[in-house]
Amino acid sequence: MAFQLLLNVFLGFMWMLLTVTFEPVAFLKGYLFGLLIIFAFRRFFHSRFYLLNVIAVFNLIYIFVRELILSNIAVVKTVLKPKLDMNPGIFAYPTVLEKDWEITILANLITLTPGTLVIDVSPDNKILYVHAMDINTKKESIDSIKNTFEKAIMEVGR
Amino acid sequence: MFHTAILIAILFIALAMLGFIYRAIIGPTIPDRVIALDALGINLVALTALISIVLDTNAFLDVILLIGILAFIGTVAFSKFLEKGEVIENDRDR
Amino acid sequence: MKMIEIVKLIIIFFIMVGAFLNLVAALGVIRLPDVYTRNHAASKASALGIMSILLGTFLYFYFINHHFNSRILLGIVFFFLTTPVAGHLIGRASYNSGVKLWDKSVQDDLKKSKNNPENRE
Repeated sequence: MAFQLLLNVFLGFMWMLLTVTFEPVAFLKGYLFGLLIIFAFRRFFHSRFYLLNVIAVFNLIYIFVRELILSNIAVVKTVLKPKLDMNPGIFAYPTVLEKDWEITILANLITLTPGTLVIDVSPDNKILYVHAMDINTKKESIDSIKNTFEKAIMEVGR
Repeated sequence: MFHTAILIAILFIALAMLGFIYRAIIGPTIPDRVIALDALGINLVALTALISIVLDTNAFLDVILLIGILAFIGTVAFSKFLEKGEVIENDRDR
Repeated sequence: MKMIEIVKLIIIFFIMVGAFLNLVAALGVIRLPDVYTRNHAASKASALGIMSILLGTFLYFYFINHHFNSRILLGIVFFFLTTPVAGHLIGRASYNSGVKLWDKSVQDDLKKSKNNPENRE
């Protein structure tokens, strides 16, 4: 991915030099044409076309913001309810992610999910201990973590 | 109307800060107080932003980032102190 | 002229939502029973509250004073990144310093693993 990005910036400068116009707009034009060239030659690179990674990052940001808003609605509901009838508890969540930055992002995402908060990570980075506001919704939270978040994070790192 | 709405928002923030101060004073355990102090820092940032709207000046906007960073570092230092008993470890073995 | 009024309404919306969320965070910190549940309220509601207020402030200075302040945008990103981290750190510190869970808590998987001698450092 880094190689493709570097090549694309190089192609942008190349366009600037070839057309002898040294303006930001010319660089942008060259960058877009370079993107087209890299897209056409994408099967000669070892890694996949890097725009897909960029799209994955934007998808991750979208998920972050959506979860933040949903979890705030849940917190408002819990706090403003006249009776406190919740069953908090800590459950263990075994994760399949391995790299440190992936686990960091996953922990941040879980903290932003409605009603869950990461308390601790086991020393071998395999198990996340999650404190849930309502342990009865544990199954749903595990499902959403597994199907949405881990997939989105893996898409970025691929 | 705009001015009144901002003043009402400032009133909300002030009430929230009073609540956090209450928790910081009576909090049964030390982590309670740390949570309250962290949230107080965040509310201080909100108050700075709103005050700079009311006074219609952009001189205070640099303070926002500063208070945010200080509140975060304070929280990190406090939680490290609670966990390990010291903030700066001199003998690192890894 | 009309445009300014609409922008003002949007700014008021963002700022009122932020202030309300901060108030809810304070209420939650007062009402909820133990450190962990209080941490939920404080770390989530404060994060969106401050981000919404800062977004309102940014829109005010951009559309009404015609002053593009990039520091507010930086502040939004900063709070977005650090508030979950702070919540996680406080939770871990309070568990490791031995704060008990609420009496009505149902399940505690972490306790088992801490008592397991293999995992002890």
